[in-house]
Amino acid sequence: MQIQPIVAALRHHKAGTVLIALQIALTLAIVCNALFIIHQRVAHLSEPTGVDEANLFVIVNQWADQSSGEQIDAQMQADLATLRRLPGVRDATASNAYPLLGGGWDDLIMMKPDQVQKTTDASVYFGDQHFIDTLGVKLIAGRNFRADEIAPMKPRDSSTPPVVIVTKALADKLYPDGSALGKSFYAMSATPTTIIGIVERLQRSEVDTWSAPFAYQALIWPRRLDGSFGTYYIVHARPGEVAEVMHHAPKALYAQDRMRIIDPKDGVLSFAEIRHRAYDSDRGTAILMGIICAVLLVITGAGIIGLTSFWVGQRRKQIGIRRALGATRRDILRYFQTENLLIAGAGVVLGAILAVGLNLWMMLQLAMDRMPLAYVLVGIIVLLLLGQGAVFAPARRASRVSPVEATRSV
Amino acid sequence: MLKMTHLSKVYRTEVVETYALRDFNIDVKEGEFVAVMGPSGSGKTTFLTIAGLLESFTGGEYLLDGVDVSNLGDNARSKIRNEKIGFVFQSFNLIPDLNVHDNVEVPLRYRGMKSAERQKRIQDALERVGLASRMKHYPAELSGGQQQRVAIARALAGSPRLLLADEPTGNLDTQMARGVMELLEEIHRGGATIVMVTHDPELATRAQRSVHVIDGQAVDIAEEPRFHARGDRAEAHAGA
Repeated sequence: MQIQPIVAALRHHKAGTVLIALQIALTLAIVCNALFIIHQRVAHLSEPTGVDEANLFVIVNQWADQSSGEQIDAQMQADLATLRRLPGVRDATASNAYPLLGGGWDDLIMMKPDQVQKTTDASVYFGDQHFIDTLGVKLIAGRNFRADEIAPMKPRDSSTPPVVIVTKALADKLYPDGSALGKSFYAMSATPTTIIGIVERLQRSEVDTWSAPFAYQALIWPRRLDGSFGTYYIVHARPGEVAEVMHHAPKALYAQDRMRIIDPKDGVLSFAEIRHRAYDSDRGTAILMGIICAVLLVITGAGIIGLTSFWVGQRRKQIGIRRALGATRRDILRYFQTENLLIAGAGVVLGAILAVGLNLWMMLQLAMDRMPLAYVLVGIIVLLLLGQGAVFAPARRASRVSPVEATRSV
Repeated sequence: MLKMTHLSKVYRTEVVETYALRDFNIDVKEGEFVAVMGPSGSGKTTFLTIAGLLESFTGGEYLLDGVDVSNLGDNARSKIRNEKIGFVFQSFNLIPDLNVHDNVEVPLRYRGMKSAERQKRIQDALERVGLASRMKHYPAELSGGQQQRVAIARALAGSPRLLLADEPTGNLDTQMARGVMELLEEIHRGGATIVMVTHDPELATRAQRSVHVIDGQAVDIAEEPRFHARGDRAEAHAGA
């Protein structure tokens, strides 16, 4: 390897060398962090919610009149009976939220009534005895609600129901030794609630970044929310009959009572649509980051091609002299490849430092996670391969310079 | 050492064929010092580039050290250039980005020589041309004569059996030219075969033999030039 003379020669081309090395360094720093963000954004896109998404759909029902809470509760009972009677429907329930809704209620969980700091957060679902079966959630310990435990609940009601069903994630958080069933905690008041059932998995209704660390901490209160602002009817259809039931369900509800609004466009949502909407912003961010990475890599590759092509043109005579003195075509090819490896090597060393620095800055300023070093290693390999790929064509052109160039006048 | 028989070199374009060398014959023996003279455009440099395997020829035969080079591949030609031939060019042809030491080292690296051996040869060659103290200087920091001596050191370091010099004193003043010629003579005395292209008749007299190239053909002045037979000897001498 002729590294020393190549380094010596590069000292005479400082501007180009430094610019390309800096470009490689910046590209590495940005691409590593962008890939990390992309990974974070897309990692949870396909994570299961815990519900039977393939056979579920949601009806967003809003009340059109100013009925009392009792009237609304009665109407909800009638609606659910109508839905459950529909051909193709296995079960139906009403709730304040559903997984991936993109918002919802959150309770602060305490282990003692006078506790100042919360123990953790949990997403709140209101549900009756049909809730678990309708969503297809798996009960792994304890029991379901009984009909007599379900009570209507007004929006400003802050009383704590005596019983609750929680997700395994929440149960493990509250009782890491696995003894949650039958134990209690405090939520909205100083009254304790007892865990009567544990479901395997039920994702929170929120999809924001802040809730990601406890995405599966949720609880189900035995309540029907009789608020006048609206209700989500969650319907579980028999396999293969979702589309048909989605078509007929709103008509059946309107036939039961016309004083409601079900948006013809967004009022009936399959879970595929719900998932798509929930992660729309994540997907957009990932695509944007991906485009930025691709553009940066293309620009860096083009920069290397451009500079090497310029150097080849500038050094034709020098290449001819080397050929005259015994360099083979392979020697010339290797010369430019080694030269690029040295420049790219300096660039990736600087880039690795910048990448880690940028990540640290984002950790401090934007509450991002620590980027695993594997991203930097992959980035280094990608940049070095990009450099070698980009330099190949001009280096091959250089290797074809005839030795007789040595005798030509400049 | 170098024997060309009926050698031709034709440059073809879409409309014309130009003969740079035509029926070119020359035989340079091992250890000879031959000067090649001729007017501009006569084919001297083309001869030298073909002799140095820098470019191919169109027809005829060329034996270098007894080897027919016409069918050699690029790698084999590079190896011969590297191991058997030394070049000294009119414009020195040093690599401006490399210092004196690194310039002399270039052909040795392509030979795959070990570092210790390279350093010894570089030291010896530069001492021989009187520039051992300038190893870290760059070509731009040297005079023309010094640059040519570095070029000679670069050729010497490889211990070539054939040294091809193209107007080696063409860009030098008289005093520097004399120094360079003395070096070439010293190398010749060391056993190398030297073929030197020159315009300068006085330099040519310092070679053992002169060959004139006229219109792409070699005319050895030791032999009876063909144009003498046509009875225009005086004119031919005037042209030379």
